[in-house]
Amino acid sequence: MNTSYGFKEYVKDIFTGSKSLVIGMGVTLKRLFQPIVTVQYPRQKPIMTPHFRGHIEAILFDDNKSHHCVACGLCARTCPSHVIKVQGEKTKAGDKKYGKKYFIDFTKCSLCGLCVDVCPEKTLKFSNEYELAFFSRWDGVMDLMQRLEERK
Amino acid sequence: MLTIKTIDDININERLYQLNLGPQHPSTHGVLHFLLTLDGEVVVKAEMLIGYTHRGHEKMAENRIYEQFYPNTARMDYLSGMIFNTGYCETVEKLCGIEVPKRAQYVRVITSELNRVASHLLGIMDFVMGIGAYTPFLYGWDDREQILDLLETISGSRLTYNYSRFGGVRVDVDQAFCDGARRFVDRLRGRFKLYKDLITDNIIFIKRTIGVGVISKDVALDYGVTGPTLRGSGVKYDVRKNEPYSSYQDFKFEIPTKEEGDCMARYLVRMAEMEQSLNIIEQALDNLPEGPVRADVPRFITPPAGDCYHSFESARGAVGYYIVSDGTRIPYRIKVRAPSFSNLFVMNKILPGHFVADLVAIFGSIDVTVPEIDR
Ligand code: SF4
Ligand code: SF4
Repeated sequence: MNTSYGFKEYVKDIFTGSKSLVIGMGVTLKRLFQPIVTVQYPRQKPIMTPHFRGHIEAILFDDNKSHHCVACGLCARTCPSHVIKVQGEKTKAGDKKYGKKYFIDFTKCSLCGLCVDVCPEKTLKFSNEYELAFFSRWDGVMDLMQRLEERK
Repeated sequence: MLTIKTIDDININERLYQLNLGPQHPSTHGVLHFLLTLDGEVVVKAEMLIGYTHRGHEKMAENRIYEQFYPNTARMDYLSGMIFNTGYCETVEKLCGIEVPKRAQYVRVITSELNRVASHLLGIMDFVMGIGAYTPFLYGWDDREQILDLLETISGSRLTYNYSRFGGVRVDVDQAFCDGARRFVDRLRGRFKLYKDLITDNIIFIKRTIGVGVISKDVALDYGVTGPTLRGSGVKYDVRKNEPYSSYQDFKFEIPTKEEGDCMARYLVRMAEMEQSLNIIEQALDNLPEGPVRADVPRFITPPAGDCYHSFESARGAVGYYIVSDGTRIPYRIKVRAPSFSNLFVMNKILPGHFVADLVAIFGSIDVTVPEIDR
């Protein structure tokens, strides 16, 4: 756009351009001798923070060696994506209900944490799993109670 | 606009033709569609076609309770999700008259400013990559990565944080986070020299940005431009300073402005703003009060009937939330004023007369996120 672009400017541009190039190369060269910052992922696994939000998971409590879910359905009603389905069971009349099946469809979960916050029994948490890619849509549907059994 | 219907309509002296840039073009930040009318390589007319990522967030809000709208807020402007999330909580708190504890306000300021730095880093690096510099991009992302890791330790997520809750924040910050934030502030301060060497003093960058895409003060004000784009045109307006919210009045910081209004000015304003953000973070960490991080709010909130407007400064400009409540647990209407919309459409005015190659520079320097426009 510069109309008065003469020979003088041309030479000046070559000079400043080379200077920029040398400075830029200097930065890169210095970087070459510094430790690498990337994680070599499949061979080297990152450590997740305790607050990391994987899918939700039932907590294994020590007192009854199980979860504390009473199948109140509050989490299912609060979930903005409607991905939770809880099924409760009573062993005999007058007893408290307890969660028997707990399905989530992780593929639609928006990881908001509302279910974890809202649970009156504080029996939900986020898992630390981060390799959550599936081959089929149905692999994302998981039964948390069954997973809990497997963890026992 | 070209209107060729019959052979007689063709004017052979007028060699205009149309070019579609996008919606799947790497430099259009997602899915934005430019319909350019070109005369050779010079833009005669530019039309921006939006709507490719419309998900109907505002409509969704009318079908869910106030709490269920949290995840939507961060998905509008995914690059400053923390700021959008916090702003939504502030609006509802204003509507209900909830007093937020001081510590929670400071934590919100720290996280929002970290998010702003991350967003500016991404914006700048995308801009320089758009005009052909790949090296600074990697350095910028290295820095941004530190912020994402830091915010992940408290919120558990890297982009869609969902960290603010009505009445405060979800988890308290610990000493490790504060130390990490301090280390990051020191680290980024030491990196500004590198960015100056790599970008600001680079001859190619200078040649491609100075005097390109000048937005004059009047045009910027007419189009409702906000954020660094407005401050790059010499208007000293920042919601954080002009209408302080969430304890911003407690901190000392400058509003960097530039008079030129070109791509370089917008870039320099963003760079200066990052330094100011670091100052704010440092002050907030120094004076972080003790106490709870969440006020006593009911599990599900029921605001009184009425309406409320709250505006706050995201990384791209002034955002406004307008909530109308009819006294139930479900909002009657939520309207979002997104800064990218007005920032983008100023390009209608300034693009004619520029080369196609300059379009990428101008677009990058305005730093737009498309999902925020479409919502
Ligand atoms: S997980 Fe908690 S909120 Fe959900 S049904 Fe069980 S007890 Fe109720
Ligand atoms: S994290 Fe949110 S979206 Fe996911 S299951 Fe819980 S409430 Fe539903």
